[in-house]
Amino acid sequence: MPGNVDFESLVARFYAPLYQFAFSLTRAEADACDLTQQTFVVWAVKGHQLRDVSKVKTWLFTTLHREFLDWKRRHTRFPHLELETTEGELPTVAPVNVSGLDIALVLGALARVDEIFQAPVALFYLEDCSYNEIADILGVPLGTVKSRLARGIGQLQKLLASDIAAGQATANL
Amino acid sequence: MDPQLVEALALAGKHPELAGWLAAQRVQQQVLREKFRQITPPAGLKEQIISEQAASRRRLAMRRTAWFAAVAGLLLLGSLALVWLPSRAPENILARYQHRMVRTALEGYAMDMLTNDPAAIRSNLERRQAPADFTLTGPLQHTTLMGCAVTEWKDAKVAMVCFHTGKPLQSGAKSDKSDLWLFVVDRNEVPGAPETAVPKIAQVNRLITATWTEGGKLYFLGLEGREQDLRQYL
Repeated sequence: MPGNVDFESLVARFYAPLYQFAFSLTRAEADACDLTQQTFVVWAVKGHQLRDVSKVKTWLFTTLHREFLDWKRRHTRFPHLELETTEGELPTVAPVNVSGLDIALVLGALARVDEIFQAPVALFYLEDCSYNEIADILGVPLGTVKSRLARGIGQLQKLLASDIAAGQATANL
Repeated sequence: MDPQLVEALALAGKHPELAGWLAAQRVQQQVLREKFRQITPPAGLKEQIISEQAASRRRLAMRRTAWFAAVAGLLLLGSLALVWLPSRAPENILARYQHRMVRTALEGYAMDMLTNDPAAIRSNLERRQAPADFTLTGPLQHTTLMGCAVTEWKDAKVAMVCFHTGKPLQSGAKSDKSDLWLFVVDRNEVPGAPETAVPKIAQVNRLITATWTEGGKLYFLGLEGREQDLRQYL
């Protein structure tokens, strides 16, 4: 029974992948932390309703994705920006961290992928989720997952190729 | 494995160009996967989640304790009320009625009709929807009537019949002042009222009073004086 799942063990096992998923969707540390924490809050309240312990991972990712959709709805209505979240838009004056740029480049490209493809692509890369698991998490049919993944990955690759080419062109100037 | 994937892999095995494309895709996917996994949670996030949860459990436990205490308190009060109210409340209601009527008699009232005509009094009371078909005791039938008024007890009308006993008045008092009062109300309006026609004597405020029930009506008679003075009118 999930009620018997030790909360600390659950957090230790899943907080990092959940955070990675949240961060890939929000691209903001504070928001990703909030979403991850909120997911465990929901688990503490409703987790006992889950009968099949093998579905814990899917349940947590589904919950985080729902929380993200709610969060996005709220932020669309009441947008608010903190300094950290606008850093990317400020002029860069410090030397660029190459390894940081790599992640930023990938996430920046993901942000420009059609919104509907972002979550399946992030799940595909982050957690090695099967198509079936992604379908469960997002609550869409298997065929939809396959098509969204194919198109999302295609868009991501094109955007990355274009970004890399632009970066090289700038470096050559 | 997905049959379509098996077929695609078999096809790639037969075509070197396709196999090369597939290998390049795999490498690209692996690189992207590694990039995604470079996202690292901030230090302390795990501990924060666990400690927040522990604090939340404590808050919930405290709220539950407070809630149970409140429920237990209400149940206790309810039990006490169940034990206490049935035995006390009707008596209290009767006592409140008696005190209210005595206060009306002593603290001043305006008579609606000044007359010594019993028929006129009954007619006036009936018109004002107060009990009018009351029965006077033998002695009261021969006592001088002064008039009547209508007062209220909750939503019910109470007939107030005023008499003059003829005893010497205190100095300064008006000669037409009433000194004996009879209140009549529907008995159902006063829970705890006596059930018999045997008068129950009690001192209420400055009046000596008698309370009895007859024909579904509650009678309450009072005067300033001693019990034997009152008994002359019963």
